Amino acid sequence: MLLMGFVAFLILVVGVVGVVAIAGGGGDDEGDTASPSRTTTPKSGSVAKICEGKTLVVPGGEPNTQLDPIQVGDVETSEYIVEIFGGLMTLDPELKVIPDLAREMPTVSADGKVYTFRLRDNIVFSQNSRRVTAADFKYSIERAADPKEASPTAKAYLGDIVGIAEKLSGKAKEVSGVRVVDDKTIEITLIEPADFFLAELTYPVAYVVDREQIEKDPRNWTRRPNGTGPFKLVEFTIGEQIRLVRNDRYHLGVPKLEEVRFELGGGSISTRYQNDELHVGFVPGTELDAVKAGRSPLAKDYRATNEMAVSYITMNPTKEPFDDPKVRQAFAMSIDRESINNVLIYGAYRIADGFTPPEMPGYTESVKSLKYDPVRAKQLLQESKYAGRLPRITLNYGGSGGNSPETLVAMQKGWEETLGVTVQLEAVDPVAYMREQRKGSFQMLSDGWAADYPDLEDFTGKLFRSDSSLNYTQYKNSEVDALLQQARRETDRNRRYTLYAQAEQKILDDAPIIPIFWPVSHTLVKPCVQGYPNVSMTVPKYRYVDIVKP
Amino acid sequence: MGPGLAGYILRRLLWAIPVLFIISVLVFVMLRMAPGDPAETILGNRFDEEQADVLRRKYGYDQPLTVQYAKYMWNLAHLDLGVSVKYRDFTVTEVILPKLWVSSRLGILALLISFGLGIPVGVYAALARGTFLDPLTISSWLLLDAIPPYVLIPLVQWALVLKLKLFGLGWDGFLSANMILPVLVMGLPGVAGVARLMRASVIGVLNEDYIRTARAKGLREQTIIVSHITRNALLPMVTVIGLSLPGVAAGALFVETLFGIPGIGQLSLEAVQLPDFDVVLALILFGSASFVLANVVIDVAYAFIDPRVRVGGARG
Repeated sequence: MLLMGFVAFLILVVGVVGVVAIAGGGGDDEGDTASPSRTTTPKSGSVAKICEGKTLVVPGGEPNTQLDPIQVGDVETSEYIVEIFGGLMTLDPELKVIPDLAREMPTVSADGKVYTFRLRDNIVFSQNSRRVTAADFKYSIERAADPKEASPTAKAYLGDIVGIAEKLSGKAKEVSGVRVVDDKTIEITLIEPADFFLAELTYPVAYVVDREQIEKDPRNWTRRPNGTGPFKLVEFTIGEQIRLVRNDRYHLGVPKLEEVRFELGGGSISTRYQNDELHVGFVPGTELDAVKAGRSPLAKDYRATNEMAVSYITMNPTKEPFDDPKVRQAFAMSIDRESINNVLIYGAYRIADGFTPPEMPGYTESVKSLKYDPVRAKQLLQESKYAGRLPRITLNYGGSGGNSPETLVAMQKGWEETLGVTVQLEAVDPVAYMREQRKGSFQMLSDGWAADYPDLEDFTGKLFRSDSSLNYTQYKNSEVDALLQQARRETDRNRRYTLYAQAEQKILDDAPIIPIFWPVSHTLVKPCVQGYPNVSMTVPKYRYVDIVKP
Repeated sequence: MGPGLAGYILRRLLWAIPVLFIISVLVFVMLRMAPGDPAETILGNRFDEEQADVLRRKYGYDQPLTVQYAKYMWNLAHLDLGVSVKYRDFTVTEVILPKLWVSSRLGILALLISFGLGIPVGVYAALARGTFLDPLTISSWLLLDAIPPYVLIPLVQWALVLKLKLFGLGWDGFLSANMILPVLVMGLPGVAGVARLMRASVIGVLNEDYIRTARAKGLREQTIIVSHITRNALLPMVTVIGLSLPGVAAGALFVETLFGIPGIGQLSLEAVQLPDFDVVLALILFGSASFVLANVVIDVAYAFIDPRVRVGGARG
């Protein structure tokens, strides 16, 4: 009897724990998330409901770092940063550099080195309405370059300013190139003229932050950061949601939406979109054909957005056998990108017939990557010094932004059939991948790059100049270096674009990389959502969006 | 509870301490010796030696392993599990606890379904032994178990959410109609396993002399099934239930991912992939601790039920 009693007791305990868990959870869930938004937007969908109210519900990426502009280097986190914070300059959906907190475009000295910015009169921080002054900018830039902060992007994207390097290495207390002229005027001096500088200022590391808030709560201020963007953060629950509500004092025009809710949980996004739970969704690869051909009910909501990014294969020119350009060219000419795209991935992408994507301002169409030419590829391999004695070749993948494993297998097949080479594919974890990239110990890598600001300097320039910290290709070419250096300093925009184009063509002919695809995102937007911009990179976009009841 | 039992429980709990200590050392050393550190994870492809040193100092990775371990244990004793590398604003406790809470409630409800249905189904199948109803019952539940979750879930979502509009899908807090489907999808496939064990157990009991005695006494069949057969057959289920408990908190990756439920399964995958060192460490330590404790609970339960176990324990 004792034993039966115990078993019954055990079942009872499990039952009670279960009931308590459910009942107890109720109070908890209601308690910390009780907010108007919960009631204004539907979770269980219906067409009528999703078009009511002014809360946009979109799938969101989980941020990778804290919501601090100087710690951000990834696209997922930037999405939120650009809505919460702002800087002197910003980008509009056409990727034009426009004044944000600056009143107008700055005046530039004759030698192209000194930029003077006048600030707007009506600029305030969103959480406490404190006025933004020139001193806030000086503080923000100096904080970004503070070695204690270890910002991953300060060196690359602020390094053109006089004194940043000294501050970063701990030799200087201040950044000498940033000077507060008066409350509303700030002057920035560059080491050398840089036509791309204003575009660079649109990147988060240059955004303004609130000194008072940071000094008062250095550890937790990013939980409710005080920025100057069109929206302010009211909730970030890991794995659940990020809620941004509009900044009613936003200086470029108050957003039409009251709130944007980013759902971080994932789940079946296209199913949830179809169930009217989300305003924005993505087309699953398998349905792309039907959607594009108009055979799917989703076709009316579909829009293709070209991304300012490229996926490619790197061949390390310091490692055998890729130290011979002929081997690299042979490898480049053995990949049938057209077939891979059309057959394997439902035509999801565009063939990268150059490196820089067409969305880039200053894109030159005549720059072309090597074409698929199996006959010439065989010939080149025969002419190379590795003819008949190729070493074992390994291609590592696993970083972000690279090519998907199935497309890599197709490329592997191409090399095998055309050149008779078996390339080993090896998946490595992201950290190990980046370590190899940094140390240059790899033979081949599958990689990708997305622009951080819309200028060729952030594509061809940063990725291939031999002294750039972002050159992961190990490629060093004095001719290319000379062209890229010249382009960097050139202040005539068209001449600058021509120089980048010349450098890029040389790189593509020399083939340290094989550009594969220019990615396209296949988005679904509900018809009642208006003004959702089709934009190829991360820019503040939700202030243009509205929900209009049909 | 006699002094013997209390002593036994105490001994078992004391034994758990060295086990947990060895696990913590092994896991800590393995994670710290593995290539990579928070500096590499945080800086990513913008890595810079000087900045990496700043971060290594900040996270204490510049110190000897023994010091790091001692500090970790000291902090652990103060319920401080370190800081997440991915969510740098949040402590590991802040990252893990809400997800643990979600996953364990989900897991317990699923267990209740699995056992709540599995036990009667098993008894029914055992009593129907020899007829076609026995294999039919068990195999129809097995069918549900045999479909992998990544097939079953999209299928169910398509049918019940998109076509019949019975449920919503998004995460809307634990107490919402949207959770009914995930709980069912997690609990129902477990019925088959429980039912088969219960069936075997009942068949064992059916052959016992005391059942024949009960029948001979002229007891009602219903009384025999409930009070004599089922109760006795439930004994082996103690182990099964006990060993299922640590798994409850582990979360269910597919269910969580496909339903967008912020649970521990999704978090574990994400933390291991990054890697988010202290989160991984905390998850493993928590997992091992709950497994060790579940075993203690099972042993104690048996000791409680069967005094012979206690005597054996005293000798050992």
